[in-house]
Amino acid sequence: MTSRIRNSLLATTVLSLAALPVAAPSAWAETPDYAAMYPISADVPGVCSFEAIDARDYSGRTLNIITHAIPVIGEPTALHAAQFAELTGATVNVVHVPFGDLFQRIMIPFQTGQAAYDALFFPSLWLGDFNPYLAPVPEAYRETQGMQDLTATYRGVATWNNEMLLYTMDGDRHYMKYRADIFDNPDMQARFEQETGRALTPPATWEEYNEIAAVFSGWDWDGDGQPNFGTAEVTQRDDLMFSAFISRVAGYAKNPDVTGGFFFDLETMEPLVNTPGWVRGLEMFVAAQASMPPGGTNFGLGDEIFSFGGGQTLMSYSWDDAFIQAQQEDSPIRNSVMPTALPGSTEVWNRNTGEWETFAEPNRPGYVTWGWTSAVAGSSQNQDMAFDFLCFFANEANTESDMQVGRYGVNPYRESHFEAAFYEDELGWTPEVSQAYVETLRGIDENPNRVFDLRVPGVGEFMSSLAAGVARAQAGTATPQQALDDVADEWRAIVDRIGADTIRAAYANVVALEDAR
Amino acid sequence: MYRQKYLFLTPGLIALVAIILFPLLFTIRVSFSGWDVYNPGLSWKGGQNFSRLMADSRYWAALGRLSVMAVGTVLIQYVLGFALALLVWRDVIARRFFRVLFLVPMMTTPVIMSVIWRTIFHESLGPLNPIIRGLGLPGVPWLSDPVWAFVAVMLVEIWQWTPFMFLLLLAGLLSLPSEPYLAARIDGAGPVRTFFSVTFPGLAAISVGAIVIRLIEASKILDTVYVMTSGGPGESTETASYYIYIRGLRDFQIGYSAALSIIYLVIMIVALTIIAKLLVRFLVRPAP
Amino acid sequence: MTHQPLDPEPRAPVSRTLKLALKYGFILFWSAFVVFPFLWALTTSFKDANGVTNGATWLPWLQYQPSTQGWASLFGGPGGTNIVRPYLNSIWVTLGASVVSITLGTLAAYGLSRFTFRFLFFRNADITFFFISQRIMPPIVLAIPFFLMLRALGLLDSLAGLILVYVALLMPIAVWVMVDFFNSIPRGLDEMAWMDGCDPITTFFRVILPNAVPGLVVAGMFCVIFGWNDFFFAFTLTFTQTQLLPVSIVALNSSVTPWWALSASALVSIAPLVLLAFVVERFLSKGGLAGAVR
Repeated sequence: MTSRIRNSLLATTVLSLAALPVAAPSAWAETPDYAAMYPISADVPGVCSFEAIDARDYSGRTLNIITHAIPVIGEPTALHAAQFAELTGATVNVVHVPFGDLFQRIMIPFQTGQAAYDALFFPSLWLGDFNPYLAPVPEAYRETQGMQDLTATYRGVATWNNEMLLYTMDGDRHYMKYRADIFDNPDMQARFEQETGRALTPPATWEEYNEIAAVFSGWDWDGDGQPNFGTAEVTQRDDLMFSAFISRVAGYAKNPDVTGGFFFDLETMEPLVNTPGWVRGLEMFVAAQASMPPGGTNFGLGDEIFSFGGGQTLMSYSWDDAFIQAQQEDSPIRNSVMPTALPGSTEVWNRNTGEWETFAEPNRPGYVTWGWTSAVAGSSQNQDMAFDFLCFFANEANTESDMQVGRYGVNPYRESHFEAAFYEDELGWTPEVSQAYVETLRGIDENPNRVFDLRVPGVGEFMSSLAAGVARAQAGTATPQQALDDVADEWRAIVDRIGADTIRAAYANVVALEDAR
Repeated sequence: MYRQKYLFLTPGLIALVAIILFPLLFTIRVSFSGWDVYNPGLSWKGGQNFSRLMADSRYWAALGRLSVMAVGTVLIQYVLGFALALLVWRDVIARRFFRVLFLVPMMTTPVIMSVIWRTIFHESLGPLNPIIRGLGLPGVPWLSDPVWAFVAVMLVEIWQWTPFMFLLLLAGLLSLPSEPYLAARIDGAGPVRTFFSVTFPGLAAISVGAIVIRLIEASKILDTVYVMTSGGPGESTETASYYIYIRGLRDFQIGYSAALSIIYLVIMIVALTIIAKLLVRFLVRPAP
Repeated sequence: MTHQPLDPEPRAPVSRTLKLALKYGFILFWSAFVVFPFLWALTTSFKDANGVTNGATWLPWLQYQPSTQGWASLFGGPGGTNIVRPYLNSIWVTLGASVVSITLGTLAAYGLSRFTFRFLFFRNADITFFFISQRIMPPIVLAIPFFLMLRALGLLDSLAGLILVYVALLMPIAVWVMVDFFNSIPRGLDEMAWMDGCDPITTFFRVILPNAVPGLVVAGMFCVIFGWNDFFFAFTLTFTQTQLLPVSIVALNSSVTPWWALSASALVSIAPLVLLAFVVERFLSKGGLAGAVR
C-alpha cells in the first residue's frame, strides 16, 4: 500500500520535473545552484537528483547506515549521508567498520531479527548469505536512468533468483597493472632478452609473469637507490588472499568450453579445487614468492597498494586501488603504469575430458570479484528513505564526482563510465593510460569467459578454508596437491553441513552468470 | 553479627552471576546446535560439534602453539618485569620518570598498537630492518618467516604487558619490611643470597597471582595475531583464541565455535588450577 | 706466607662501575624499546602516502615532506572521522563500569577476605577463583548471547548496555586485586573495631576502607585500562549511536591503511591513561601502595 503511494509520488515527481521547463520556466531561476553548494560539477535531473531529493521532507526521521571504513566507500558514504541529511532534514547516522569485522556486524542483527541498520554497504560477495534479509529494489528505482545504464555484468551481480536485491554503486574486477616505463625502456628490454632469450612484453600467461618478475627482482631498476622487486600480491592469509589466488587459477581452470561450474560441479556439488588446473595455479603462486619484496609473502591489500603504488614493484594484480594510488596527482610514477587483463595460460584443464588442452592464444578469463554494493534491510522501517538515500548516493552527479577521488574506491559500473575522455580530462591521465584503462575494464565486462565469486551461503567458510590451504602450500608445510586435497575435503564437509541442495540452488545463480555467454 | 557478611559478598556475586549466567548457559546450549551462517537458531545436533572438534587437528595444534606462546611470553614478562622493578626500586637517577615510562605500554589499546607494530615490522617500509642493517646484521623476515613471525608476535606481547608484572612487583618490593634485610646483612649474605632468601620469598605470593592473571589474559591473544600475521605464515602463529575467532565470526560457525570455547574453558580452568598449585608449592614455601 | 687481603679493595670500583653501566645500560635499553613505537607513530602521523612509501624515514622536511592530514582527519577533516564524541562516550563507559565494578568488587573482596563462606562445596578460594575465571572465556563466543540479552533489556547500542557488560569484565579484576589487598591488612584492625561495638558494615567503611585507598588505586587503574582498551564488545553491541574510541579509530583502517591517521589516533587515545600512570606512580613513590598487592 505505502509502496504504491510512494511510487505514484515518485511518478509525480518525475512528471512534474519533466513538465517544469515547459510549464514554468521561471521556476528554474529559483532552483538553488547545487553545484555551488556541493562538490559536483552540475546536478543531473532524475528521480534522485539533488533537486528531487531536496524536495523530500524526512525531518523527524532517522536513517541508520553501516558502511566500510574510511576512506574506501566509507568516506563517500559519510559525505553523501551529510548531504542527504541537509537536503531532507533527516537524521542520518553512519557507522564505519573495517572489512574484517563487517560481516559479523551485519549478520548478528540479521540472524537475531534486530532492525539495526536501514541501509548497508558490503561486498557483493556476501549476497549468498544476506539475500534472505534484504529488501528488493522497487521498480521505480530500477527504472531510473542510472540503473538502466548498468552494464549487464553488474546488473547480473545485483540480481538473485531473478530479483534485484542490490543497489549497485561500484564495479570491481581483478586486472593486472605493470610499470610501462620499465617495459618500454630499451636497456631493460635488452637486459631481459639477454637473460631469457625472449622479448620483454607485458605477460600474457602466468609463466611469463613469473619469469619477468624473477628477472626484475632484487635490484634497483628505477634508480632511486632502493632495490626493486618483481611482483606484489595479496598473500596475507585472512586478508583477501583467496581472491588473488582465484585470479591466478582462473587461466588454468576456467575452460571456455566447459560449463556448469568453476568451484563446484553444479550437478554433483563435488568440489573442483583440487583438480589439476587449480593445483597448477597454486604451484605458480608459490613459485612467485621468490620475486616478491621483503615481507611480500605476508602482504595484505594495503601493503600491495603501497608496494606497487609506491613504485617498489614491477607488476601487480588485484582491484583498482594500487593502480589508482600510482595514478595520484602527487605520485612519482603517475602515468608510468598501465593496466591490462589478467595473465592466463595456454594450457587449460578440461574437466569433462580429464585432460589438459593446449590453446594457441592464452586463455585469459576475466575475474569479476567483490565490488562494493549496497542494499536495504528487509526489516527496516525506513525502506522508502533508505532507497532514496542509495539512489541519491549513486545519482549521476555524485558518481561522476566520486569517481574522481581515488581513495573513495568507486569504480566504473555504468555504460557511461567507459569513456576514456573522462579520465583524461578530469583526472589528468595520459590518453594512452586512459584508453588502456577503459579497454581493460570493458574487456573484462565483455569477456565471454569469466569467473565470479562463490556467492553461496557460507562463502566465508569456503574462502577461509581455501586460504588456509593455500597458506600451508605457501609456507611449504604441504605440497600444492596435498593442500588443495585437504581443502576439497573441508569443502565437502561444509556442503554436508549447510546442505547440498541449498548450496546448489545458490550456486546456480553464479553459474548462470558465468555460462550466460 | 556474622550474618552481615552476606551483605558484602552477595551484591557483587549476584550482579556477576546475573550478567554472566545467561551468556554461559546459552553458549553451552549453542555448542550442541548447528547454528551457522545459513541455519541460525538452536537446533539440536547432539555431540556432533564435539566429535568434530576431537578430530580437528588444526585446533589442537593451535592450542599447543598457544600454550607455548602464553607460557613463554608470561615467563619473559615476569623475569623482565622483576628485573626492571629491582632496577628502579632504590637509588636510580630519575627514578620516578622511569617508573612512569615503564608503565606506559600497558595503557595502549592492543588493537591500535598492533597496527603500529605491523608498520614497524614491515620489511620494506618499516624502521626496524634499516636499524638492524645499520648494525651490520642482515634484515630479518619479521612477518614472513614462521619462526620470526612467532617471535614478532611475542615481542609485541612482551612490550605491552611487561609493565603489568613490573607494577605489581614494584609495589610488592616497596612494601617489603626492612628487618629481614638487616638480618641478612648481619649474617654477611651477599646480594645474590639476600635476593633468594629475602626478596624473592617476600614476593612469591604476588608473583603467583600476577602470573595466573597474565596467563589468562595472554591466552586470549587475538588482535595482535589478527593484525600482524593473520595466523600465518601457514599456520605458524595461529593460536586457539584466534582459531576460535576465525571459526566463530569469520566463518560464522556459531555452534562449532561455542563448542571450541567450552573445551577451551575447561582446559584452561584445569590447567590454571594445576599451574597455580604448582607455583604455590614451589614459590611460596621454598626451603628456608 | 704472603698476606692475602681479605677484601680486594682496588678491584671494587671497577666492578661497581661495571655494575652501574650494566644497570643504566639496561634501563636505557628498555626505555628505548618502550618509546620506540611512540616515536615511530609520532613521525608517521605527519606523513602522507608518499612519505610512507619512501621507506623508513624519521626526520620531517629533511627526509619527507610533512603533512598534517593525519591529525586533521581525527577532528573531522577529509579522509577521517571525528573522534570527539567517541572520546566522551569512552570516558563515560569506562568510568561508569569502573566505579560500579570497584564498588561491588571491593565489598565482595572484603567479605571473601574476612569471613568464611560455603555454598555447597564452594568455599572462599573457589568463589574467588569463580570471579577471576570470568575472564577466561574467549569474548568472541559471548557476542551473540550478550547481544540477545541486551536486546531483551532494550539496551543495545546504548552506554548503559555497554556499562552492564563491562561490569562483568572488570569486576573480576577488582575482586582479585582487593582480596589480596585486604588479606594484607591485619585482622586485628577489624577485631579492635568490633570490640568497640562497631558492626561489620561500620567497621568496613570507618576503619578498613580508609586504609585501602592504595589498593583501590591499583584496582581502579586496571579497571580503567581494561575498560578503555576493550574493543570487541564496544564493537559488537553497538550500531550507529554509541561509538567508543577504539571503534572509531579502527574505522580509519580501510583497504589503504592510512598509517598517518592511525598513528595520530594511537597517540591521542593513550593520552588520558598516561596521566593515570602519573597518578599511580605518585602513590607508589609515597609508599602508599605498600601492601596493595599482597
